[in-house]
Formats: sequence, structure tokens, C-alpha cells
Amino acid sequence: MPQKGIIFNIQRFTIHDGPGLRTELFLKGCPLRCEWCSNPESWLTHIQPGVYKTKCISHKKCGMCEEACPNDALQFYRGKLIGIDRGKCTNCLECYKVCPSDAVKQWGKEMSVAECMKEIRKDLGYYERSGGGVTVSGGEPLMQSDFVSELFQACRAENIQTCCESTFHAEWSEIEKVLPYTDIIISDIKHMNSEIHKKHTGVGNELILENLKKIAGKDREMILRIPVIPNVNDDEENIRATADYMLKELGGHVRTLQLLSFMRLGEEKYASLGIPYRMEAVKVNRKSFQKHVNEIAAYFNSRGIHCLVGTKEKQ
Amino acid sequence: MSIIHTDARGTEPFDKTYSLGYEVHHKDWSPFPRINHLRQTFLDRPYEVDVERLRLVTEAYQEHEICARKLQCAYAFEKVLLNATLYIDDEELILGEIAAPTKASPIYPEFSVNWIIDEILHSPFEEREHDQFYIRNDEERAEIIELCKYWQGRTVADRIECRLEEDQIKGSEAGKKIYQTNLYHFAGTGHLAIDYAKLLEVGFDGLLKEARQRLSELSMRDVEYGDKRDFYEAMIIEHEAVKKYIERYAKLCEDTAAKEADAARKAELEAMAVNCHQIAGGPAKTFWQALQLFNFATTLIQIESNGHSISYGRMDQWLFPYYEADMKNAVISKDFALELIEDVYVKVNNPTKLKDKGSMAVRNGRGFGGESLTIGGVDTEGNDATNDLTMMMLEGSAHTRMMNPWVCVRMHEKTPYELKIKVVECIRAGYGHPKLYNDGPAIKGMMRKGMTLEEARDYCVVGCVEISLPGKEYGWHDAAYVNTAKMMEMVLNGGRCLDCGPHCMRWAECGALGKHLGPDTGSLDTYQNFEEVLESVDKQFEFWTDQMCSSLNIIDNAHRELKPLPYVSAFYQDCMNSGHDLTEGGAKYNGTGPQASGMATCADSLASIKQLVFDEKRCTGAELLQAVKDNWVGYEKLYALVNSSKVHHYGNDDDYADELFKYMFECYTRHIRGRKNPRGGEFSPGVYSVNANVAMGMNTNASVDGRTKGEAISDNMGPVHTDGGSHDINGPTAITNSLTKVDHSLASNGTLMNLRFPEEAVAGVEGRDNLVSFIDEYIAKQAMHVQFNIMSSETMKAAQKRPEDYKDMLVRVAGYSAYFVELGKPLQKDLIQRTELHF
Repeated sequence: MPQKGIIFNIQRFTIHDGPGLRTELFLKGCPLRCEWCSNPESWLTHIQPGVYKTKCISHKKCGMCEEACPNDALQFYRGKLIGIDRGKCTNCLECYKVCPSDAVKQWGKEMSVAECMKEIRKDLGYYERSGGGVTVSGGEPLMQSDFVSELFQACRAENIQTCCESTFHAEWSEIEKVLPYTDIIISDIKHMNSEIHKKHTGVGNELILENLKKIAGKDREMILRIPVIPNVNDDEENIRATADYMLKELGGHVRTLQLLSFMRLGEEKYASLGIPYRMEAVKVNRKSFQKHVNEIAAYFNSRGIHCLVGTKEKQ
Repeated sequence: MSIIHTDARGTEPFDKTYSLGYEVHHKDWSPFPRINHLRQTFLDRPYEVDVERLRLVTEAYQEHEICARKLQCAYAFEKVLLNATLYIDDEELILGEIAAPTKASPIYPEFSVNWIIDEILHSPFEEREHDQFYIRNDEERAEIIELCKYWQGRTVADRIECRLEEDQIKGSEAGKKIYQTNLYHFAGTGHLAIDYAKLLEVGFDGLLKEARQRLSELSMRDVEYGDKRDFYEAMIIEHEAVKKYIERYAKLCEDTAAKEADAARKAELEAMAVNCHQIAGGPAKTFWQALQLFNFATTLIQIESNGHSISYGRMDQWLFPYYEADMKNAVISKDFALELIEDVYVKVNNPTKLKDKGSMAVRNGRGFGGESLTIGGVDTEGNDATNDLTMMMLEGSAHTRMMNPWVCVRMHEKTPYELKIKVVECIRAGYGHPKLYNDGPAIKGMMRKGMTLEEARDYCVVGCVEISLPGKEYGWHDAAYVNTAKMMEMVLNGGRCLDCGPHCMRWAECGALGKHLGPDTGSLDTYQNFEEVLESVDKQFEFWTDQMCSSLNIIDNAHRELKPLPYVSAFYQDCMNSGHDLTEGGAKYNGTGPQASGMATCADSLASIKQLVFDEKRCTGAELLQAVKDNWVGYEKLYALVNSSKVHHYGNDDDYADELFKYMFECYTRHIRGRKNPRGGEFSPGVYSVNANVAMGMNTNASVDGRTKGEAISDNMGPVHTDGGSHDINGPTAITNSLTKVDHSLASNGTLMNLRFPEEAVAGVEGRDNLVSFIDEYIAKQAMHVQFNIMSSETMKAAQKRPEDYKDMLVRVAGYSAYFVELGKPLQKDLIQRTELHF
């Protein structure tokens, strides 16, 4: 049966998740709740409305969303839409449909593989010239593994390179559906200590580390990333443990380790969903933090792991 | 994909990184101290008005009041060359100004004077908001007015104004500004590139010999005998004067050398004197002499007329034999060759042009403008033409980073890898050069003008984006700016302006009498289906292009009658052969190229009408009409909707809207193409606005695409941006796909596309290579032109201060891209800091 996916964004001309110029599909649904997550709209699998309050032209001049909402779930402040009572909201999207100003955004859209391929084909020439292709990310794309599998098979049929950016917090049986059709694998190592991992992401790290090891065991190369979060995973002990794991368990299969310095990202999306931003209190001195991250990169390189700061693969 | 290589290298590694984005207060980009010094001296000088040319030309015309017009022109030109004060700036190696000191603008009373008198008296050049010019003192101010008074009633502009009729005026800059023909109404035409190769080979003596030969061969049975005789005689007077002018420079060099204490500089001045003696009549024998002859020949075109966009043709091609010979014979080093190129680059910024305030509004800037220098591309056989100079001319550009020259690189499917990398290194240095032109559609466009394949392959760019054939084409490019959004007002409102009423300056002769500005072709509250709307567009465009093109032909004739150009005509073989001046159609190819602005404004307006009124019936045509009449006040919902992502917009790779853009593009080009001009040539449409879209927007009422009254209309081939939001939201590949759904070669006078990237997107080796890939695909999709803006942290700071101007600036944050101005202040700040760290 042809698969459908729930996709919350298709970004053309991306240059960060995989080589060359790419089209990236962001899939909805994620089992993790990382505190620093920049895509909170990806957490839930189902389609939801989000509110961009600065775009509301006011209840007085419009009021169409309130009229359309069957559950009285919309919240106004000083005449402008500011949020949705998620307890009352049934995600029927009537507010989105009538809103004339993009103040209500639809997070997530059901799309067939054929529909996705139509979008993907639009930039074929760019992939060919730049060594780029398609990346699926999320959320956690493996939550929709049947869809991703079929999508990647369709890409393969048209010689389009595929890249899967995943947490790999998934059952091996799900991974196996996608892996044979995946050219490039990108994943994170967020922390080596499972308890701390669980504290900051909501899940332990055992399944993830085991899966990465299995992938390496299948002789597959991968790009790994560490989101470097101050006072969470940037201590010497964890860094050393991460390097040990990579060398011992993943062998020579890490083609590049990318360090992504913590940035306050996606705050406006948290606001649109009415979810509190948990990194609110974290303040970073950009200059000294960047120096610190550079030192971590130097350490990995000294251990023989090709490591760069940012989403690059070449210096 | 196979990579094509070249041996051409220039002086630096082809992959040398110059910088990423704009850097403030960086003064020594060039490895040559002389160049950095000259550049800084130029920047520090004020923009002055110089009276000398006006004085000399007026005297000459008064002395020769009863005489053939061509000879009057020749005597005036001669008078200027024999009497103008000459200058040598310290350290410079290349000589020649435009009969005025560096950065001072001469006055060209032959074209127009009323505005000069009017502006001096009522809105002084010194007090302009931008583009100020300074008259040196009150005596000169009085002298300018006095001399200009002699010219009142005798200028090209006066001739034009007495011949235009009411229907032609009402749509023009003197009326409701549906089209603006200011440029050649008030000044010279320019927009040409001469045959430099021939000049360097035969010298002025060679041209004179040819002119004398042709004159002696004239048949007295030729009905045009007298006119042709005047033409050759005028040409001979002018070119003889040129020889004396260059000898004056030789003398000045010798006199200066005699007084020079520094031995090295003394030797340079002596060498410059030798150069001048040689090229006063003879051909260029060295690379240095070739550049010196180039600069004299070019500035002399600008002494004859103040037409802008006097361009340099395929400079890496015509200059190469001299470079090759000098290198082979060890006459110069590669470094000295580059230093000379850079000296020329600084030098060509010197000419400035005082413009009337109306022209200034559509064409900002105090330089002549449009001094395009074309490099790269294919040769006449279709093989890649890249050589060492191609690379060095890009190096010189990155080392000087000035307004001029406007370096243009011709790209094609066999452009070598090394050149592409050099091009991208210059682009990401963020100083706005070079622009890229695509041989595919450009050559096709040239052939649409009737040229052979071999000729078409030899095209160069003149001015902004106009394609032209050096020494063979007088294309009258940039002939008029067409405000298609204002035409669309006529479509919406039965041939009337949306704000038709007693406040209008034309009310008494138009609205008050129950008249319409244009024909009544229906209105938004009466159209029964969308096809009727499109038919109405077609009829309005036909009416207004009739008015505009017939006006342009009147302007064209006024130039022919009053300001022939015998000096520059000598560089056109067909003029030389036929005895016809350039203004008389002496060139082999004669075009007239008016350009359209606001195409996307019209396309998105049509998309809104089609979708909301006819397809989805979300509002009526009457409502939409009233909304724009009321400048959207009271129609906030509709305003938000037409600016939202729920309505189809051009630039998103969305066929619904892109098809309407295509309709507009084809409608405009169809109505322009093929019309005849008085020089025996045809009209050739362009689709670009440069910066005129801003001024045009000020004269345009609200539009259905979601623009409020006075906002800029859409620019060039670009999508719509309004205060209500940017209409393109799918990134650069989507824009590229949208704009390549039209056949660019239909716009044989050129198309223009600006693309903007943040530094982040092009940083590092991967960023460089991604930009190369992007350009490769852009070219493969047959778009004609592209230029890039690479954003700097300075720009981002400016964006923080004036977010309304930077609405669509995409920043790649890390995991996602976002519009910079929509991010929180702390993240904005962080991005700025991160970018600075990156340097």
C-alpha cells in the first residue's frame, strides 16, 4: 500500500545536513524531548495549528478564526490571537483554514511519496552538480520508517542520493527498513552517561549507542554530531568517553564528527505552540564558548577522529 | 560531470580567497601602494561642476552659427580638445579625463539646459538629498546660467518637446509616468562599445586615412553628397584635433618630468610622454600604450556626448595580443601588467555626470554609469575564450572594489573550473562584482536581432544588462523605463488612475472633462471572467507602448537632427563605409531598447484576481477594486490574504502564478519587438528596472498584489516584496525555476536578476563549491543574468535598525533557515557575533 508521511517542512536549498545542495524533508514525531531542541513542532506525530501572534491583524478587523473554531479554544490578549488552549483544541485546523494573515500556521501536512517526489524533482539539477540530494530529518524520521523506506526507494530509482538524519532511538527492525536505501547517515551522540542522557532528552542512550554500533558493524560510514551544550555534555569526562566509544565501538566508521555549538534556536516556534522554552536561563559568552568548542574539536582530532566545528566536512 | 580546465592563471592562485563579505575601513586591497593611494585620493575628492566644456562649446557654436550641424559639432569638439585644461594626477600611469578635472562633471548644453537653470535657481545641486554636486563659486554659478541661456530653444530637449503630442505626453514623465523617456530626452544616448581592436591596430592615423579615402571617393551624383561630405569632413576635423590633444598630453608629461625630482617618477612621466607621442596618430605598440589609447578613445566619446554606459567590449580579448607580445618579449612583468589594469580601473571612475533630478530619481549615482567590461565567454567559433587577462581583470576588480568598471563575466557550459572559482571568490568578497551573463540565451537573443551566429558569439554587455555587438550595433539600450504596474491600474479601473480626482495635475484637461487617461478596456467590477482581464491587459499594453515607442522615435530624430556624433562614428565600420552618422542609422544594427519594470507586481495582481475573484470566489472584483482605491484601508483582511502564503505568488516555483508572470513577460515583449525605429532598425525589449522600481512605486497607487500606494513596485525579474510580506518563500532554487519558465532571449535587450545570500551560505570550501554548483545550474536553466549580494554583519546591524527594508533576508541559523528580522534580538546579535568570528 502506498505510504503517506506527515511532514512539517520541506526546505529546498539546504546546505547543512549532508553534502552539496539538498532538499530536506522534516518529518513529524519524535520520541526524544531534548531541552535544546530547535524544532518543537516536530515532537507530536499529528498535525497541529501554531500561532504567530505578530502576524494577527486583530480580532476587531478580522475575528474569522474565533468564528470558525468549534471548541472555543483560541486565546486572545488585547484583541490579538496569542495562543490556543491545547486542552480544548482537537487540531481540526478550521482556524488555520480561515486565517487570512498566516497568523495561524499549520504544523504538519500529510503527503504521499509521489507528492514528495514531485517537490524533490524540482531541484534535480542542483543535486547532480553539487553532489547533493535528499535528506530526511525531523523529528525522528524512523517513526515513519515505512514511508521513509518507500521514499528512499523512489529516490534510488531516480539516482537521487539519500541521507537520513536520525537519533537512532528506534527498534532495529525499523532501522532495517530504511538502511538499505540510505546513502548517508547522520546521527548525534548527546551524552555517554545514560542517566544524564535521560535527564536532558527524556530517554536513555543504550538503544542509540547499540544501534550506532550495529550500523558500524555493517561497515557503514556515518557523520556524527555532538550538540555541545554548556554544563550538560561539554565536560572533559564525557568528551573523553565519547571519543573512547567512537574509537572502540565504531572503529573507523565516523567519517566526520561535527560539533554544533549551542545556540538559542527556535524560540519563536516554542511560542507558537505555547510550550515553555527550557533553555531560557542559559546564557553563553559566545567568544569563550566558541574557544572551548574549538578545544574540544582539537581533542577529538588528537585522538584521530576527523572533527570540525559546524556542519562542515571540509576545513 | 567533466571538469574543464584552463592554463590561464593571472598573478595569484586561482582559488585565493579575498574576503567574505564587506569589510569596513579596509583600504589596501591592492598589492600595489600606488593603486591604494589613487583609490583613496579618488574617494576623498568632492563632486564638482566644471564650466570649461560649457564655455568652449558655447563659444564654438556662436562662432559657427551658420554652418552644417555636423561641422558645428566638429568645431565645438575641436575647440574643447585644443583648449581644455589638462591634468596629471600624481602617481598615475594612464592619462585622460573628460575635459574636466577628476570627478568634476562637465556640462553638455547641446542636449538640454532648462533644468540646469531651474535647479540652480530653485533646487540647487548642492542641496539634494543624494547625488549632490558642487558649483565652485558664485561667479561660475552666474556664468553657467548665462551660458545656458544662449542654448534655450536650441537643444535636443527643446526639439523633442515641441514635437510631442498630448497623448504621448500624458503617459510620460511629464504626465502620469506610465513610461519614462527622461534619459535620452535630456542627455546623450551612449550605450555602446566601439571596435577597440581596430583602433589599437590602425591608430587615429589609420582612421583618418580611411575617412579621407572615402571622402575622395564620394560621387557628386550621390543625392546625399553634401551630407556625406559634411560627415567625413567633421570626422576628419575631430580626429585631427584628437591627435593634437594627445600631443598636448605628451608635452605636459615632458614638462612635468622636467620638474620632477624623484628619478623613478621622472622615468614614468617620460615613458608616458613616449606613449602619447606614439599613439597620438600611430597604433599601440605595447600593452601600456594599448591601455593608454583605450582610455583616450573612451574619454573622448564622453567629451563628445554625455550618453552613459560607454562600455569596453570584450576587453580580455582585444587587449590580449598586446599582453602576449609584451610578455613574450619581456617588455613588462605580469605584475606591472596587473598594476596598469588596476590603474585603469581606478581611472575609469573619474568621469561624472550631472543629471536632472527626474533622471536621477530613476537612475541614482553620480558616475556616468554602466561602464561594463566584458570578459570570458566563447570565441566566434564557440570555443572557450578564457585567457590570462580574464583572470587578471577579476583580480584587479577584487583589488580595487570600486563602482567601476562593471565587470561582467560571460558564462557558458565550457567555462573552465579555475575561472568559475575565481568568479565565486570575487562574488563572495561581497563587493557586488562581477555580474554573470549567460552565453546561451544571450547569443539566442542577439540572433533574434538578426545577427549571424559568429557575430552573436562576440556580444558584450553595455550598461547594466544590455547585450550589444561592439563596433556594429547602436542599440539605444535603456531607452525608457516602463511602469507596467501603472498600466495595470488602467486595466483595473477602465483606463483611469485609481485616484482619479481634482488633486491630479491633469484633472482639468482629463478627468474633469469626463475623459480617461487611457482607453476604457473594462474594469475589475465588470469583467465576467479572467480571460477578459487578460484581454484588457493586452489592449492597455498595446495603447501605451504605441505612445511610448512613437515618442522614442521623435526623440531619436531630434538626436539625429541636432547632435550627430562624427567622432564615435569613425569607430563603426559601417558608418565609415556609408558616410552615415551613428545617429542616422550608420551602424550595421540599430535597435531601441525600452525596459519593463514591475512584472511580478502585475503577475501577482493577476494571480490574486484569478484565484480570489474567479476561481475561489472569496471576494468580488468590485470589492478588490474598492480595496485598492482605498489603499486597503478598511480591507485589512483582504490585504493580509493577498500577502499571505494562501495566495499564489510568482517566485515560488508555483505554476499558477508563474504562468501569469510568463503571460506578462510575453505580452510586454510582444508589443515592443519588431516595431521600427527611424535608424532603420527595430525595437528590442528588456525586462529590468535597475533601481527605477522605487521611484516608479512612488507614482503608483495601491496594487492588487498587496502593495500600498507609494511602495516600490517589483524589481527586475524578481518576485514581489511588500510591507505586508515577501511573496517568495521557497528559496533561491524556487526563484530560479520560476524565472526560467520564460524564454529570456525574448527580452533581447536583457533581463536582470539580483540574488542575495548570507556569508554563512557561501563560507568555506563547501560554501564556495555550493555557490559554483548553484551558478552552474542557474546557467544550465537558461536564465540570462544574475548578480549576487553577500550579506555582511554590517548589513545585519543595519537590518536591525530598519527591519522594514530587510524583510526577506534569509539567514541560515543552523538546523533551519529563518528570516533574520523575524528572529529574536538576542539571536540576531549572536548571529552577528558569530559572523565576525568567522572572519
